[in-house]
Amino acid sequence: MLTILNPLMRIVEIPMLALQRLLGINRLAWAFLLPNLVLFGLFAFLPVILNVFYATTGSDNVLLEARPYIGARNFESLTDCGNYLDANTCREDKFWRAVFNTIWFVTLQVGIMVGFALLTAVILNRDIRARGFFRSVFFFPVLLSPVVVALIWKWILQREGVLNAFLDWTGAGGINWLVDAGWAFGWSVFISVWAHMGFYTLILLAGLQAIPRDVYEAAEMDGASAWRTFRRITLPLLSPTMLVVLVLALIKGVQTFDEIYAFTGGGPGTATTFIIQYIYERGFAGAPRLFGLAAAASLLVAGVLVLLTLAQLWANRRNVDG
Amino acid sequence: MARVELNRVRKSFGDVEVIKGIDLDVQHGEFCVFVGPSGCGKSTLLRMISGLEPISGGDIVIGDEVVNRIPAADRGLAMVFQSYALYPHMTVRQNLSFGLENTQTPKAEIRETVDRVARMLQIDMLLDRRPKDLSGGQRQRVAIGRAVVREPRVFLFDEPLSNLDAELRVDMRKEITALHRRLQNTMIYVTHDQVEAMTMADKIAVLRQGELEQFGRPLDLYNRPRNLFVAGFIGSPKMNFLSGRIEDAALRLDSGETLSLPATGFDLSEGRAVTLGVRPNHLDIAEGGPLPLTVSSVEQLGGESYVYGALSDGTDLTLHLSGQVGAEVGETLHIAPRGDEIHLFDSDTGLSLRRD
Repeated sequence: MLTILNPLMRIVEIPMLALQRLLGINRLAWAFLLPNLVLFGLFAFLPVILNVFYATTGSDNVLLEARPYIGARNFESLTDCGNYLDANTCREDKFWRAVFNTIWFVTLQVGIMVGFALLTAVILNRDIRARGFFRSVFFFPVLLSPVVVALIWKWILQREGVLNAFLDWTGAGGINWLVDAGWAFGWSVFISVWAHMGFYTLILLAGLQAIPRDVYEAAEMDGASAWRTFRRITLPLLSPTMLVVLVLALIKGVQTFDEIYAFTGGGPGTATTFIIQYIYERGFAGAPRLFGLAAAASLLVAGVLVLLTLAQLWANRRNVDG
Repeated sequence: MARVELNRVRKSFGDVEVIKGIDLDVQHGEFCVFVGPSGCGKSTLLRMISGLEPISGGDIVIGDEVVNRIPAADRGLAMVFQSYALYPHMTVRQNLSFGLENTQTPKAEIRETVDRVARMLQIDMLLDRRPKDLSGGQRQRVAIGRAVVREPRVFLFDEPLSNLDAELRVDMRKEITALHRRLQNTMIYVTHDQVEAMTMADKIAVLRQGELEQFGRPLDLYNRPRNLFVAGFIGSPKMNFLSGRIEDAALRLDSGETLSLPATGFDLSEGRAVTLGVRPNHLDIAEGGPLPLTVSSVEQLGGESYVYGALSDGTDLTLHLSGQVGAEVGETLHIAPRGDEIHLFDSDTGLSLRRD
């Protein structure tokens, strides 16, 4: 093998030596990193910077040079409220409706989803029959595209849908699930949990399996009840995994858009309009196209997410060291 | 009184029977060691006693009570695991307290007990640390402390020293023995190391392939092994085995030499195929000795010497001699077993031919 590789390496070596002589050994590292840095810079870092420019400039023109600098005015219009708890008193009332919807949605969705994911993971971690089958079943929805998820549930929940057909047949009578604001919101939470829970179950399952078996046996010998073992052994040892799950679920929760947009279109009214949908509509769907406002809103969302993540990391560190 | 009695205890995993009906009686206060090669079922047997592993048949009696259906926590046992199995997220104090908290012991009492045990095991300065900040030896002490705190009727040790380095192992061996003297509890200790077994045990149970080969005091096992397996397993270096046949009340070896045998003590049926067992320290270099040994290597340790070699038919022999010897590699020595220090086994059944 080496005898084949050696001449090849020689060939590579010649330009590399030349390059090294030209750049110096330290700068050569940057030359190797360059391709990746260019891609990352172009598609991740540059958009963030551009976003700041858009957020601080006005007009509906997409060309930066044609956009006048307006300072923090976009942020001011977003945050101009008589009473922050009442969206009707805000200039951008739709923004605040989306914010409140998102807060409610994320709280319910993350809470329910992580709770059930933990429960499912604990059950799947036991020696139950057909464990492999159930593990796949719970993971299966994760493989579906968001639009497919939305269409499946729409097919079930629309006025003439499968669920109502069943309810009519039982004599209970159908409900117009997607027209009632409360039901639409509730079902949005449900399908979002349904679609994503498997992913978090999988992570938690991996975390559970990383807990050594003999620690449980020691607890058993120590006379700990099942509940106490769960609370004093499983949960603390799972907490690093739990943190990852919470941070990921929270970020993904705030980013919820496609499946609900395809499911309810944000309605009825604004009942299921979340913050990303607001940004999308302000920036790309409505007329005039308020890029500045959309950019400002997305920066606010990013800021809140960073704060929440830092808070969780801090809480976890205290938990581990304390 | 916490004696432990096993009556025809069996364990199967699917079709594989790993414990094949073991009878054993460990008296109150005894230090009993289960020893055997890896895979012999010693750890499984310990786990069956502990209740962590359900049994497939027979009875386990602890004290006067059949505990087959009693959960591990209620058997009044404490176990020290090979991996220590400390709770990694708890401090040493919390590790020691956990078992007592589970039994609703008052806080002040827990504190007092933990402090006392920690002082006894010299881990009192480590109480606020977590397992990851401790050395292997310290973790071992915490694991033992966690067992002591619960004041169990019986202590179970599952190869507790196998993760320690050699020097620490010798120290911990002494400490566990001292702990036993102090607490006077029944202790069952699993190891694959026959030196540990010999030095620590009141009684040794030698296991092989799920069966009890012999159960008795260490020196009884050493002096009167019941079969070839025990003879070969107990004692270091291993016992030498020479095969032959009984002819005219003497032993005719396969290598051609004839050894005279003691007239009494063994069942010497004419023509029987037998295996002679003789320990390396029971062989002497003797002028005119019956066994010609071609020396292949010599280890001189100053105070003692080991001579390795082979008989004419290739049978390997080891001699352990006190003092220093003048043997050279390639030289032929004449050696002789000390008359009353030999063992005879039936070559077919492996059982000892000793009469009593």
